[in-house]
Amino acid sequence: MSERDRFGANAHRYLDGAPHGDLAPEERREAERLLGAVQAWTEGLEPPTAALDDAVMARIRAKAPRRADRGWRWLVRPQPIRLRPVWVPLAAAAALAFWMLAKPEVGPGPTLATDGAATTVDTVFVRFQLIAPDAQVVSLAGSFSDWTADAYPMTQEDGGVWSITLPLPVGEHQYQFVIDGERWIPDPRSHALVDDGFGGTNSVVIVGPRGVVQS
Amino acid sequence: MMARHWWLAVLLSIVPTGLVGQLPDYQSQMTERGLPAALVAEVTAIAADATAAGLPAGSLVDKAIEGWAKRVPQPRIVAALNQFRVRLHAAQQAMIRTGHPEPPGPIVAAAAEAMAQGIDEAQMGEIVDAAQTPASAGHGLRVAAALAAQGIDGDEASAIVVQSMHRGWTDAQLLDLPSFANQMRAQGTPPQQVGQRLMQGGGSMAGAGVSPGMGSRPPGVPPGNPDQSGSGQTRTRRP
Repeated sequence: MSERDRFGANAHRYLDGAPHGDLAPEERREAERLLGAVQAWTEGLEPPTAALDDAVMARIRAKAPRRADRGWRWLVRPQPIRLRPVWVPLAAAAALAFWMLAKPEVGPGPTLATDGAATTVDTVFVRFQLIAPDAQVVSLAGSFSDWTADAYPMTQEDGGVWSITLPLPVGEHQYQFVIDGERWIPDPRSHALVDDGFGGTNSVVIVGPRGVVQS
Repeated sequence: MMARHWWLAVLLSIVPTGLVGQLPDYQSQMTERGLPAALVAEVTAIAADATAAGLPAGSLVDKAIEGWAKRVPQPRIVAALNQFRVRLHAAQQAMIRTGHPEPPGPIVAAAAEAMAQGIDEAQMGEIVDAAQTPASAGHGLRVAAALAAQGIDGDEASAIVVQSMHRGWTDAQLLDLPSFANQMRAQGTPPQQVGQRLMQGGGSMAGAGVSPGMGSRPPGVPPGNPDQSGSGQTRTRRP
């Protein structure tokens, strides 16, 4: 038990500088004795020097958080937010509009088939074959590859058969075979042949969800 | 004020970014494919005119890329684009005459293909009228064009598509029709009979000749890994 614990609340108030009218005489004497001792002790202390101030400030500055730390703390610290309820549906509408507009299109190329939202979720493996025994290299080019001639090289099988299997989005695609990197030829057994506008003919394949079948 | 509505400010700053991302960047698309600057400029101008006229500019840009990939000389590419633009315009006017005053670009592009395969205005109008959505209309026009290209009469091809739409077929089901028609044709079925069978079956799988027990798997396509069997198969012989 410390010396202060022996006094009541009034003695504590007296030591803290409150009026001492409520103290009992015994308490007042003891309190004045303690106060005198404290004053004698404090008078013996040396006043703080300027060097101490500098040392303290240096420690404070050294621990000051960097700007990035302050930013991070601002982000992770719970923040009180005040908002007007009317902004909530407006913000929700704006977010919905953003989501609708930013939703990426599925499938390559801008053809109608790949624009159609109802069927763009499916991708079907389609096997293309060409019999070209004299060819050195055969590749497949089409609207699904921006017509890049060498994007899809075909594999040679027995009997001069060249083939490739590609995943294509459900919808319409135009294509041609490229023989030896120079000769572009259509697939006569495709779903349709259309004029390519450059004096050639494109093959058309319409990929349904069940695949493209030709016996 | 900003402190109170910082979240709204963030949201509004994101929205324009998303919108910009949706704008077609035809110039970049063509430049990335290696088209020379002069050609890019010409195609961009043609595409801008097409856009102003309500035509699908993307189709023109794709056609330019196709021509460049095929090593077609630049003047011929430009000439082909102008010709293609005329075809698109004709398709657009045809759709307008059938009572669709502002046909979307994809429908115009599909209509141009359909017209090239002999589908006439009235038939195109019926298909678009029967479609539930613009996307369905585009699919219907392309399917009708593909059926006509396989020798089925234009009237019958469009009727098959319209009938399928009236039966509530999905776009995906509709897109299966050309494959089944092609299969029957490859098996030696005359185009007239192909059309009749598709009409009789309403374009259904039974009408297309799928054997019982095949389920959703078309005949000739074994199940399993497509690399081993192929979900679909297109075969051709050397022309």
